[in-house]
Amino acid sequence: MRYITFALSKGRLTDLSIKLLEGAGIDCTELKGNTRKLILSDEKNKIRFFLAKPADVPVYVEYGAADIGIVGKDTLLEEGRDLYEVLDLGFAKCRMCVAGPKELEGKMDSVSITRVATKYPEVARSYFRHKRRESVEIIKLSGSVELAPLVGLSEVIVDLVETGRTLKENGLVVLDTIYEISARMVVNRVSMKMENRRIAKIIEDIRKQL
Amino acid sequence: MKRWNIYTPEGVQDILFESCRQKRLLESRIREAFRLNGYKEIETPTIEYYDTFGGERGLIKQESMYKFCDAKGRLLVLRPDLTVPVARVAATKLKDEPIPIKCFYIGNAFSFDELGGGRQNEFTQAGCELLGINSAEADAEVVAMAIEAVKAAGIDEFQIDIGQVGFFKGLMEESGLSEDEIEEVRALIDQKNLVGVEQVMDRHKVREPLKRLILDLPKLFGARDILQKINPEDIGKEATRAIENIKEVLEILDDRNLAQNVSLDLGMVQSLNYYTGIVFRGYTYGVGFPILSGGRYDKLLAKFGRECEATGFSLGINMVMMALERQKKLSKQEPEGVFITYEKNARKTASDYCRQLIRNNCIAELDLMQMGMEESKKHAKSRGFRKLVCIKNDGSREEIML
Repeated sequence: MRYITFALSKGRLTDLSIKLLEGAGIDCTELKGNTRKLILSDEKNKIRFFLAKPADVPVYVEYGAADIGIVGKDTLLEEGRDLYEVLDLGFAKCRMCVAGPKELEGKMDSVSITRVATKYPEVARSYFRHKRRESVEIIKLSGSVELAPLVGLSEVIVDLVETGRTLKENGLVVLDTIYEISARMVVNRVSMKMENRRIAKIIEDIRKQL
Repeated sequence: MKRWNIYTPEGVQDILFESCRQKRLLESRIREAFRLNGYKEIETPTIEYYDTFGGERGLIKQESMYKFCDAKGRLLVLRPDLTVPVARVAATKLKDEPIPIKCFYIGNAFSFDELGGGRQNEFTQAGCELLGINSAEADAEVVAMAIEAVKAAGIDEFQIDIGQVGFFKGLMEESGLSEDEIEEVRALIDQKNLVGVEQVMDRHKVREPLKRLILDLPKLFGARDILQKINPEDIGKEATRAIENIKEVLEILDDRNLAQNVSLDLGMVQSLNYYTGIVFRGYTYGVGFPILSGGRYDKLLAKFGRECEATGFSLGINMVMMALERQKKLSKQEPEGVFITYEKNARKTASDYCRQLIRNNCIAELDLMQMGMEESKKHAKSRGFRKLVCIKNDGSREEIML
């Protein structure tokens, strides 16, 4: 039997992912232990795991280096990889939003926005191009995106909003919600066909817990 | 200024000795398979007018094509695909050929989109087209040809998935969704995105049990018993015809003893503006992407002025090479040939001997650098020769197996 390989997102999704896998009868002891090994396995079920930076998970899965991945919808949208998105795992929920100063509230359609700061340039570009039919300048930042409208770098931002507290404390509001975000399970297109029986069972075992 | 002269452009690669040998071997096996099945090879130009592929409602996205101009300012492209040129030829120059027309090609195509996972911007495609008939027999013939090509390539663990775009189109027609929504649903189903499909369907009042079936589409793949889950009364005429078509194709493949490699995927709904009937893709271990894809495209030739049904497929040679390598199925090059070194006065004898071997179809090479016995031995071995021969001044030969 061949190994089925999981790529799990390192970070806040890791523990929740492990819980789901354990619930599906997959032995994650090695994964929970404090090891420096990069690839861990459940030899009984012939399953291997590795942890990767969230943005890299869709890449591993698209290329077939991993058969299955667990990753946030935000990353999937930004990476735009050709994958099967088979399950909404329902955790790590938040929203991908356009946010900006209060003055813009309700006026999104009348003012023309020229600069958008974001950690998600592809999501922002496609939103402004397809949904708003506007050509905007996308400014890619690596963190603290809320700062951009405050110091005049951009008029609005596109970012993940969980509770909205950071926005509120800085006098910003949500202007439009682009996507509802949560963790997803993705499968490589070829693996889904070549290992259909085993992968379908894993999907089903995880679905039952949702 | 940065100098680029020692690099190759992004997405293109040099193919050196051993890989090149493997690739040619692979191509020749596939060529032979096509030829023995009655297909005739054609070669179309590497460059074509942009209009052949692009333009309004173009077949291929303009941003994925390499574009440049001819001397008169007309827009040209490096061909992004080989099926479209075949359709152009069939619609124009092959008008008077008896039907069916069976042709094949092996050649390079170029696309900016292809990068990643063994895909290059320049890639070799081998494929065949069967023009002039629309029947389950023709559909099955092309699927069978695809299976034969994969087998000829030396891959024995593989799977061909068959779908029918008419099934999806029929369901959509019955559902009453708008064109934009249909495209949205198509993309979601193509990603097997169950959640997304559900969200779109929830926005609309689509009648049950049609709605259930559309929601299930991403899951409608696997062995042929999935067909039994579909009740003809639920799906309308076009979708029913599509299912009948698939059943017929499967029966024919049964008769040809090829059914064990075939399964179904009714949620296979790639680019609808191209395919009109049966569609299929081939998968194997070791590569994360399909190694082949094909289907029926009855409306393509009309773009070039001829109504003519057509079906075909193309196989990605680079992808197959990678699969063979990962599956450790590439045949190792055995040592072969004779390296001939000689003493000063034996040049004529050596060269005569060398000619004679070559005439007998044996690889033979003269030691042009006069490196002497010891050096030649190392050299010949590292070059992959099977035998070293030294011709002495007195005409005698010393032979060493390497």
